[in-house]
Amino acid sequence: MALIDVVNLSKAFGPKVVLSNVNLQVEEGESLVVLGGSGTGKTVLLRNIMGLLTPDSGHVAVEGKIIAQLSRDELFKVRQSIGMCFQMAALFDSMTVFENVAFGLRRHHQLSEDAIRDRVEECLSLVGMRGTEQLKPAELSGGMKRRVGFARAIALKPKILLFDEPTTGLDPVMTDVIGRVILDLKHELGVTTITITHDLKSAFEIADRIALLFRGECIACQIPAEFKVNPDPVVQQFLRGDADGPFLQDPPPPKRKPKEAHA
Amino acid sequence: MLLTFFDKLGSGLLEALDTAGDFAVLSGRTFAAIFKRPFDGANLLRQFQSVGVNSIPVVVLTSLAVSMVFAVQLAFGFRQFQAEGLASQVEGLAIVRELAPVITGLMLSGRIGSAMAAELGTMQVTEQIDALECLATDPIHYLFVPRLLASVVMVPLLTAFSIYVGFWGGYLILVGVEGQSAFVYAGEFYKLLAFRDVQIALTKAFVFGMIIALVGCWRGYRTRGGAEGVGNAPTSSVVTSSLWILIADFFLTKLLLV
Repeated sequence: MALIDVVNLSKAFGPKVVLSNVNLQVEEGESLVVLGGSGTGKTVLLRNIMGLLTPDSGHVAVEGKIIAQLSRDELFKVRQSIGMCFQMAALFDSMTVFENVAFGLRRHHQLSEDAIRDRVEECLSLVGMRGTEQLKPAELSGGMKRRVGFARAIALKPKILLFDEPTTGLDPVMTDVIGRVILDLKHELGVTTITITHDLKSAFEIADRIALLFRGECIACQIPAEFKVNPDPVVQQFLRGDADGPFLQDPPPPKRKPKEAHA
Repeated sequence: MLLTFFDKLGSGLLEALDTAGDFAVLSGRTFAAIFKRPFDGANLLRQFQSVGVNSIPVVVLTSLAVSMVFAVQLAFGFRQFQAEGLASQVEGLAIVRELAPVITGLMLSGRIGSAMAAELGTMQVTEQIDALECLATDPIHYLFVPRLLASVVMVPLLTAFSIYVGFWGGYLILVGVEGQSAFVYAGEFYKLLAFRDVQIALTKAFVFGMIIALVGCWRGYRTRGGAEGVGNAPTSSVVTSSLWILIADFFLTKLLLV
């Protein structure tokens, strides 16, 4: 049985259909990367897995439990086994880095302050953020915030980690740092991960399988080597990063020839 | 044209019912979450500080100003009938029964209700409330309950404090300016009052505290649309809670004075 089972998942907001009959299975220990253009429902997929949204039809099951059918208390139990890393980190801005990472530990475990401090330090070390405990989120850069968000997500030792566009808006070097942190977490913790990203380099480094969402549907879900040679023109256009092709609904502006150099 | 009118009326009515239902459900969930675990004492103390202690200067200044203006008006009015002695009695009655709870309620809806709406609204649009959900924490339990508890405890306490300040505001004008005897003022201030009047004032303050916290948290929690939504949440919270404080004041007065 798959650890995460997405079955015929559909979700619409008013007349806009965001997800349409999406099927995905993620096995224990596997790392799935979900690619797709902006607005194709990648974040909506993660929110359905976390139970932050309710599907219009179909369902998401985590460890065999159908998320939409759980009571609030049962849902919170399942959520303790899932760590969610938000696109903009979503750190609690009134708390320090230490308090952010310790939040889940204080709410759900009867640990001594020393044990909490040790665990927070361990989590921050794993993401390369040791020594920032007393800083407030406003004092951190974008990449640092994401890493503190990762530390907060792993503090409860989850079985599953969900990354929502962890590298969006970061410079190429920080993008590579984040990619490495995700890889480290995957290897050191042995967790199952679903990562949404636009960054193909880190996608191919992280992924055991890559899925591509296109207009609300999952049109490919393969191991990276097969995904690279998938003949689907949408997949190939996405891999090339070219504006011309079937990917865009509206035709892109025509490509201008580079200006000839002045004589 | 008639159809359009009924169409608009119907959709407006449905929207109002939807809003009222949403507020009722969230309020019900808040009351149900009061006795849930875990108990976060530090969070509760922070709210007591924010709602109560930090509001003292505002309550002192407004209570002093209102009681002084009211004393000036009463002294002037009763002088027309050579009945200056009644000014301190009416001052006491007005402050305890109406001015202290209502002015404190309205000021706190502006100070703490709007702060709650702005804080929760910002948390909503920056996904911090989603982060709470993902950390298996009920936002109603973590955000609403401590604010509600702090408000229902601190608003009555601040109202009692406002009565005390109001006494001295009246004293400054009626004794200091109008030349009444301090001994007579102190006796006359409480002459028309019974212990029941203080109970009514504190009951009103308790209900106002509930309105301020629930409306503030609800408006913040339901914030949508980025910066504009965060900007609208405190305004809408202050308007809604002020309106409900005045409506509740009328019905509570009718109910409790019988």
